[in-house]
Amino acid sequence: MQRFTKYILACLILILSGCAEQWLDRKPQNIILEEQVWNDTKMITGLLANYYDRLPAHTSLTTGWAEFAAYDEAMWSNNDDGRNNIVSYPFDRWRLWDYGLIRDINLAIENIETFGTSLSAGQKAQFSAEFRFLRAFVYFELVKRMGGVPLVTKQLIYDFNGDPSYLQQPRNKEEEVYDFIASELDAIKEQLGNDGSNTRANKFTAMALKSRAMLYAGSIAKYNNLMASPISTPGGEVGIPASRAADYYAKSLAASEEIINSGKYSLYKTNPNLGENFYDAITKKSANAEVILAQDYLVSKDKRHGFTYDNIARNVREDNLSSSSITPSLNLVEDYEYLDGTPGTLKTRNAANTDYVYYDKMEDVFANKDARLYGTVIYPGTSFRGTPVQIQAGVKVWNNASGSFQNVESNTLGATYDDGGLLTGSSGPQRSQTEVTNSGFYLRKYVDQTAMSSTRGIRSDMWWVRFRLGEIYLNAAEAALETGKTANALKYVNVVRERAGFGANSLKTLTIERLQNERRVELAFEDHRVWDLIRWRTAHEVWNGNASNPDAVIYALYPYRVVRPGHPTHNKYVFDKLVAPRFRAPRFFQMGNYYSSIDQAIIDNNPKIVRNPFH
Amino acid sequence: MKTKNRFVNQILGLLALATVLSACEKDNRAEPKSVLKGRVVFNGEPVGVRSNGVQLEIWQRGYQLFTKIPVYVNQDGTFSASLFDGNYKLVRLRGNGPWVDNTDTIDVQLSGTQELDVPVQPFFVFENETYSKGEGKVNATFNLKQINTSRNLERVNLYIGTTTIVDPNNNAGNAQEVAANITDLTKPITLTATLSAALAGRDYVYARIGVKTSGVGEMLFGKPQKIMLK
Repeated sequence: MQRFTKYILACLILILSGCAEQWLDRKPQNIILEEQVWNDTKMITGLLANYYDRLPAHTSLTTGWAEFAAYDEAMWSNNDDGRNNIVSYPFDRWRLWDYGLIRDINLAIENIETFGTSLSAGQKAQFSAEFRFLRAFVYFELVKRMGGVPLVTKQLIYDFNGDPSYLQQPRNKEEEVYDFIASELDAIKEQLGNDGSNTRANKFTAMALKSRAMLYAGSIAKYNNLMASPISTPGGEVGIPASRAADYYAKSLAASEEIINSGKYSLYKTNPNLGENFYDAITKKSANAEVILAQDYLVSKDKRHGFTYDNIARNVREDNLSSSSITPSLNLVEDYEYLDGTPGTLKTRNAANTDYVYYDKMEDVFANKDARLYGTVIYPGTSFRGTPVQIQAGVKVWNNASGSFQNVESNTLGATYDDGGLLTGSSGPQRSQTEVTNSGFYLRKYVDQTAMSSTRGIRSDMWWVRFRLGEIYLNAAEAALETGKTANALKYVNVVRERAGFGANSLKTLTIERLQNERRVELAFEDHRVWDLIRWRTAHEVWNGNASNPDAVIYALYPYRVVRPGHPTHNKYVFDKLVAPRFRAPRFFQMGNYYSSIDQAIIDNNPKIVRNPFH
Repeated sequence: MKTKNRFVNQILGLLALATVLSACEKDNRAEPKSVLKGRVVFNGEPVGVRSNGVQLEIWQRGYQLFTKIPVYVNQDGTFSASLFDGNYKLVRLRGNGPWVDNTDTIDVQLSGTQELDVPVQPFFVFENETYSKGEGKVNATFNLKQINTSRNLERVNLYIGTTTIVDPNNNAGNAQEVAANITDLTKPITLTATLSAALAGRDYVYARIGVKTSGVGEMLFGKPQKIMLK
């Protein structure tokens, strides 16, 4: 009986206390409500971090990094030959239709107004501005791949009436999207805050995006209409009238000059060794006033990536697998000029092309080259992390009877020849092996120098630079040149060249071709090459799929040690240029690649979406 | 734990049974049996194109989803598509083939197998092609005839391959002459491709000539020619 009373008592307590605390109305422990998010600056910042992290990139250190090996900057020397054998770029290669992210940002912009009751007006304005920056960034990524896309700036809500057609928005004109980006960035730039930050957007980050976007719009307006048959759709979803070019270039120049003249940023010039300095300019994460916006990583917080593991030079790798994936091409190496301004073609044969040029040391063939070559590429005779990267294909043994050299190569890395000297370098190159360079070069830019960063256990926290002042100078130079302000263009491009070891005012005249090459060498492996060729409308000529077009084929450079005892050339080095042995199909960019195809499912859902040309 | 495993096993068994049973069901729709075959022709002659490069579009209206059926043209200018009987519209996709854009729709009433010639107007065609072999070389001599003058010549190429599929993407050697060196189209043009040692040692190679019009992505080709080297 006593026990029974106890139970009743217990039940009563439960029921009563439950009622008092509204047992059924408790706040959930696993769902964060809108009111909670939009009144807590920490949570809003967390959300922002998520959106920054989701910003699209074609190639970065984490997203699509392997595609650096799919153009003419590099080839692929790891396992599989996919990127060396791209018969033609598929029409959906650069496809992007990330309205999931656009919607998330639109929701954020609306919800911070609706629910952010305890935020100050200033805080609200700043966060909204940052969301709008991110949205402009995403729209730029969309327009540069797809042409005009529907500009959706509010959340679309379905009312379940059975007819969704009122939600189906047609594509905006290509120029309208670029105009939207420009007006958004102008509207928010003063509200962004984040002064001095290089991982969150501030006023100058907005201007950096505007500088790039307006330059793209201007060059599409100009160069598309110079084509034998301009790419366009009747509704202007693709193609910008030529008359808009000057306006876009002027806007780009103004945005670039706002950054340059602000004095907040400066080219990185801390290291007296110019080659090392250029590497540091992109990879040093502290005291670097050049970087405007970067995607940062941190090993201790488990925010890290395997880019160094996959791309470090073979004989300095710390893991027992991978390495050597992206290996720069001879094409890129030769595009770095000599410091006296002459074209960068490597002198491997004598003037009459009857004999090799013999070098005492391997690095001598690269002497007096643009310092950016060292900062971008590991070439024969250089080191990484203080360890020499041994790149030697084999030896050339002189045959007195035939009066010619015979190649001796070994497929054992680091093998020794009969004379006791080195036969094959511990970093290759190898003609058919994987995980060792096939082109004779290794990547330096973005490969981490930190010890153990090439192991799978630790990995790397190298950051990915989205905008830096070096690009802004080149944007300014191009926009100035295209609008006839050649003196200004020369001023800006020469600043960038001076940092690379060219003297002050190294260029006296400027052509667009020269500037195009300057972008190629300064911004290699920074996700610019393919987009630059697309906006200049030269991609289909540079990569025309023709095996006899040297630009469409990846070349390699194989160093050999001469074995000719008793002769002055004995133990000197010679170089063979050859089509990279593992390279298969010449790069082939078709007209239908200028704008990526739109997924059929999207057209099915919204018949107002017009197809891109050639698809 | 054991009971849970047995339970999982039972579920898996049921799933497997369901899969087997449902897989036995016949598809409720027959596969398309009619075939639309055809050639892309100029003056009744098929036009040679790059393998896997040029497509025609087939559209069919009257259904909820309106999706094109891409039909790739073989390198000898033929194509074929398996379709259901019905009314289709065949379109020559703009800017796609090595010919003048012509967006006139061709109506196709398909019932059973049907053959169709799709007329196009190329910019250039080859005439009087002859191939010959030299010592470690292959020569091609031909006349180039300009059909449409709205665009200019960019270059002509001679491609050498080890299979019948020969084009800019599939070749083992090639020779090129750019338009600047071709001043007089009334005179025959000769291209000479030097064979690499590996090619010269073979019993035979295939050779094929192609012409590139500036401003047009795709090239127009002659017929691949087998050349006996031994």
